[in-house]
Amino acid sequence: MKEQWRLLKTGANTAITNMAIDRAVLVANSGGKVPPTVRFYEWAPPAISIGYFQSLEEEVDLDNCMKLGVDYIRRITGGGAVFHESELTYSIVIPESHPYIPKNIMESYGQICGAVVKGLVHLGIDSQYKPINDIITNGKKISGNAQTRKMRTVLQHGTVIMDVDVDKMFSILKVPNEKIKDKLIKDVKDRVTSIKHVLGKTIHFENVSEAMEKGFEEEFDIKLVEGVLSEEEIRLAGKFEKECFGTQEWNYKR
Amino acid sequence: MQSKSVYKVPNGKLLKVFLEYNEKKNLINEINIMGDFFVYPEETIETIENKLKNTLLNRESLLEKIKSVIKENNIEFIGLNAEGLAEGIMMCVK
Repeated sequence: MKEQWRLLKTGANTAITNMAIDRAVLVANSGGKVPPTVRFYEWAPPAISIGYFQSLEEEVDLDNCMKLGVDYIRRITGGGAVFHESELTYSIVIPESHPYIPKNIMESYGQICGAVVKGLVHLGIDSQYKPINDIITNGKKISGNAQTRKMRTVLQHGTVIMDVDVDKMFSILKVPNEKIKDKLIKDVKDRVTSIKHVLGKTIHFENVSEAMEKGFEEEFDIKLVEGVLSEEEIRLAGKFEKECFGTQEWNYKR
Repeated sequence: MQSKSVYKVPNGKLLKVFLEYNEKKNLINEINIMGDFFVYPEETIETIENKLKNTLLNRESLLEKIKSVIKENNIEFIGLNAEGLAEGIMMCVK
């Protein structure tokens, strides 16, 4: 019989809540309180997340964020700044000691990204994992991923880009040199793609979610069973919202 | 003296270093290591920054210090390496 993992569909939440839930699931799983978990979610309002090692003021135009109603947040994972608008975001939480997950960090990126690649196949999209942390189709990025390991537990989250507005993205991201902004925008338009662009039509979140569910089940040879956050996870998420992700101290940390 | 560098690590990520240093003594006063790389465990970036304080600003001293901190704290870099970090720091004083 296949191992059963929990599937969480938490819908659309603020950046603060989204990042707090991922961390709460990590902590609950590290204590053996919840099974390995795959979560699918969205962001409302749209948000920009920055990597743990990035500087908010260096990467993000905060005035424009305010004007456009875009949230901003620091992740607990490294990696780059991501504008989350039309996308499916996934997270997976699993003990480092679990036999299905490679001990080696780079190998585990490859495996988890393999689940996304398999999910995209169900949408008719052929893609490949491109180290360090991207998934590409026809040479263009369709997914970005970031992993942390804390409390002997792996947390990886990543995006599956459903649609992308590069001009809006660049009005929020800071560009080192205004003179080359147009060229940068063109470069990103050449480098980043989306499900909508590849297939030439809009695919609803629900369909992307179903495809990704199959992708994770196939990659790990497990059964995903839909569940809900535990009471402890809800309590922990609330605590992390207040003490971490909702604070200036955290978001302006570097 | 304050300085900044932006350095694309070969086969790696974009490293941004903010450096405050003593020009006369050629020593680091304060350093911020930023970018879209990965460091495991993440919090050890602060250990690295702290240990680099009062380090002599030449490539050999920096590399030696960075490598020893990595070893002592079991740090793993992805998209960054000791040589790349030393290069990013040296670019601040070039």
